[in-house]
Amino acid sequence: MIGTMGISSVDRLLSRRALCGHLARTALGVTVLDTLVGSAVGRAAPAVPVGDVSVIFLMMRGAMSHLDTFDPKPGREEQGETKAIQTKTPGVLFGEHVPKLAGMSDRLAVIRAMTTETGAHEQGTYLMRTSYSQLNSIVHPSMGSWTLHVQGKRSRDLPGYVLVGNGNEHPGAGFLDASLTPVPVADPKLGLENTTHPAYLSEKQFRRRLVLADRIDRDFKQLYGGPHIAAYDQMYKDATRLLGSVDLESFDISKEPEAIRSRYGDTTFGQGCLLARRLVEAGVRCVEVELGKWDMHQDIFEALPDNVGTLDTGMAALLDDLAERGLLKNTLVVLATEFGRTPEINKNAGRDHHPAVFSCVLAGAGIKGGVVHGASDERGFHPDRDGVTVADFNTTIAVAAGLPHQKEFSAPNGRPFKIGGGGSPIANVLA
Amino acid sequence: MFAMNRNLLRRAPSSTTVAVALGVAATVLAPCLAAPPKAAKKAQSQQQRQRAGLPAAVTADPPSTIMEVAAVDRSGRSAVHQAAAKIDSLLASSWKEHGVEASVPLKDEQFLRRIYLDLGGRIPTYEEATRFLASKAETKRADLIDNLLESPDYVSHFYNYWADILRLLERPQKTLFFEPYLWYVKDSIRTNKPFDGWAHEMLTADGRVWDNPAVGFQLRDAGMPLPYVDNTVRVLLGTQIGCAQCHDHPFDDWTQHQFYELAAFTSGTQMRGRGKNKNMMSRQMGQAGARELIQEAKQKLDRPTAFVQFVAANTTAVSFAEAPLKLPHDYQYEDAEPLAVVSPKVLWGEIPSGARDADGREQFASWVISRDNRQFARTIANRMWKKVMGVGLVEPVDDFQPGNPPSNPELLEHLTDEMLRLDFDLREFVRILVSTGTYQRRAVVYDPASGTPFRFTGPALRRMTAEQIWDSILTLVAHNAWAVQRPTAAEVAAAVNLDLANPSFDAAYGMFERFAKEYTPPRRMRELQQTVGYRGQLLVRASEMPAPLPLGHFLRQFGQSDRETIEGARTVATVPQILTMFNGQITHSMLEKGSVIYDTVVAHTPQEAIDVIFLSVLSHKPSGEDRKLARDEIMTADTPAAGYGNLIWALLNTREFIFIQ
Repeated sequence: MIGTMGISSVDRLLSRRALCGHLARTALGVTVLDTLVGSAVGRAAPAVPVGDVSVIFLMMRGAMSHLDTFDPKPGREEQGETKAIQTKTPGVLFGEHVPKLAGMSDRLAVIRAMTTETGAHEQGTYLMRTSYSQLNSIVHPSMGSWTLHVQGKRSRDLPGYVLVGNGNEHPGAGFLDASLTPVPVADPKLGLENTTHPAYLSEKQFRRRLVLADRIDRDFKQLYGGPHIAAYDQMYKDATRLLGSVDLESFDISKEPEAIRSRYGDTTFGQGCLLARRLVEAGVRCVEVELGKWDMHQDIFEALPDNVGTLDTGMAALLDDLAERGLLKNTLVVLATEFGRTPEINKNAGRDHHPAVFSCVLAGAGIKGGVVHGASDERGFHPDRDGVTVADFNTTIAVAAGLPHQKEFSAPNGRPFKIGGGGSPIANVLA
Repeated sequence: MFAMNRNLLRRAPSSTTVAVALGVAATVLAPCLAAPPKAAKKAQSQQQRQRAGLPAAVTADPPSTIMEVAAVDRSGRSAVHQAAAKIDSLLASSWKEHGVEASVPLKDEQFLRRIYLDLGGRIPTYEEATRFLASKAETKRADLIDNLLESPDYVSHFYNYWADILRLLERPQKTLFFEPYLWYVKDSIRTNKPFDGWAHEMLTADGRVWDNPAVGFQLRDAGMPLPYVDNTVRVLLGTQIGCAQCHDHPFDDWTQHQFYELAAFTSGTQMRGRGKNKNMMSRQMGQAGARELIQEAKQKLDRPTAFVQFVAANTTAVSFAEAPLKLPHDYQYEDAEPLAVVSPKVLWGEIPSGARDADGREQFASWVISRDNRQFARTIANRMWKKVMGVGLVEPVDDFQPGNPPSNPELLEHLTDEMLRLDFDLREFVRILVSTGTYQRRAVVYDPASGTPFRFTGPALRRMTAEQIWDSILTLVAHNAWAVQRPTAAEVAAAVNLDLANPSFDAAYGMFERFAKEYTPPRRMRELQQTVGYRGQLLVRASEMPAPLPLGHFLRQFGQSDRETIEGARTVATVPQILTMFNGQITHSMLEKGSVIYDTVVAHTPQEAIDVIFLSVLSHKPSGEDRKLARDEIMTADTPAAGYGNLIWALLNTREFIFIQ
């Protein structure tokens, strides 16, 4: 028992970070030290040149109901239990569960006439992320990998593209080089795990192990060299480089002052938005944060307040925080989902899949705020005017992010592709 | 650190070999003192777990019988070889036609590793490897195939395979307690249930999930009758009609009308005591008793939700009473009016004569599995082919359509005939496939993005699935990887079944509390930590793990499905996977005293140790050059023990370890 006590207290004392935290609370005062830590990290980060845009993509997986968020139809039977509230923009109403975003609608471009053909989640999210329909033979790259392909990484050690809280279905780098593969972070609160070697393992010993593995592996690689093996070789390289990097700190949101952390909400998504801001600040080019649980086929009005509230708090804090740090003019924030939900409420008090019309939101770099583009009909069923396809939407993102949306690229099988899918940018929302 | 060493020493037996090897432990196992701050709060309890080393249940000998698996008929071997030869000859003529060369035949050690992984889902142990490699028996490959096909490893591995297709989750919805269904899938593999009968059972089952666990298949899409039809056709008939749910299929022939005609068969499937047969159902299901309990809960409990769900689970049951299906109100085509009632009609062929008088759901099931419906046999034959060879004759396996023809139509039709000849005995079918000369050739690198079809000159090179990696590492760690198994339907029934005819709140609440403790996923996870936990990881087979696992779990990192999409598993490389292989707890577990590889190394002389490590991790002896590399490493490391640790770590971090050659 004495042993246990001894170890755990030694352990706690020896942990440098814990020690800092301890001192901060007792001696220096949380705010002071945390601010110091925060700004130190800020300084260490590579300067992002003006006009070099970062993208934070908030993906509402499972299909977010447009009627209950950004396109309410007050007075209609279809509206169900969600009330409409006034936004900062005269005449524009949002659903009652996004009060914070409603309060900053002057920053947002809301697209209310998004329209697509596919009502299946897998195909819908794939289309939204890649701008192309799923094919049998080839995986298309997601927007973030295209961005890296064209613009390169900003930092040698830090990844250029990070996914927060995403599942397997993300297309990642698709047919592009494995080095453009996003780095997934499962839980923003834990950051990137397993980045510390055990205490007994010196850096020298670790390198020796790697060399040994590499030499023993030579025959196998010679026989089976190809894209699968090459992708793993690349990941071993990236992981090794990252391990020695000071940039690892940008994955650690515990470095943020408590006041900032709580602003984003104590949810995985909210903390994911905070991680996204931290990463972008440190020089990561693209971050996608996923929020699930939108597939509300049953009892939707019970499920909405929580999930929409999570979105509202996280996204509003992100926009405020970016703006306060002067990062919003360089950061494009996208709120997207694969399709909408039926205006008609089903017999299980839920809403089903509805690709015909839905809403997405843009803010930040290159975007005009306080705009509502397009409209759905009076029931929220079809686009009424200015329908926007996924390709139009993604081409708009490409323009705002400074990507060559008209340039033709070739896949390995010779097919031509365009970033954004060859749509027409929405001039109305571009600044 | 000092205390740690003393503690280990106290636990160690006092033989010299072990004391030397304990040096390994003391060096290799020194805990990471620089715990990250976020872990600080949990540090104490984690310390306790770390000090305990590997859990006793895992270091103990495995039980003599893990489960009874249906026996393989050894007398059928010559028929198997004949059938395999026929497949080989079809492939040989295809190679000739396309001017490609067959890959070279596998060496014994390559065959050994691949067959363990493909049938048992894990690498062989040192003992299994040396036994097979030393055997001079002419039939040793066939013997190994048959042994593996009747092992618990086979059941576990094929459970993982089906779990990905069937989207097996413990709580797909809050009132669906799916443990019995998950057990049922595993048990159907254990008994080698013929696939047509198995499918029929799932498509037509009635009742509650713990009374009749096959209902899980229909309940998986509870409340979503149209997606249910889409998913069922995709899984069982390899055909994607999902687009036609909302509009005519853009490039296939399927119309929205056809989709509704097919869905009309199962319209009327009820998941609760709702609908036409409400009164009868309501009595049967004890709705009144349930209502009483729920009312009382709402008065007595501050947070009644979980209890209410527990009671509601007791009234969730599948039943069927035909109900008309109407077209959607915005139906846009000219062949029918919006909201018109649709009469049921199958996509192709006809309802088998024996089922014409049965109810709609039975008609649908009989049509799906009918021997005349070759698409059913073709779909499962192609799936099994892909399972064994790495690539389907039609890819993806659930997208048969005129625009996506098979790469070898003659072979696919032959395999379909074989599936019918074998009366849907999937295991026998797999037995034939792995007995082919083609399967027993060296793996071929294939990139689907190349746009050229795969010619099967050998199986395709594959990365292990997440479960294969996990179970292989476990093979190096756990003497008993089966310390925990998923609960049976009977066990769950005993824990959840309320007496709704005589409702008593106190009795029901007591049951609810016990059930929550044992079965609520996060609490079950915590409970399991007590027996098989090691630094937060559960050291049991992947098939016995809670589902879904958290996103950050080893299995999810390596691409296990979230079980929300059909076949959602992936084998894409990512940085966090590598970090886990470098520094993750599971890598360290095998360096602990009492792990399989630790004990095996310690039981041999230092001269033998290098071979033992290679055979344990990579299933073959080192080449002369590799042996020299390994020896140099061990000589120059701080201690020989640290050198062994470095070698094991290095082998684990080769591409050879995670790819199946």
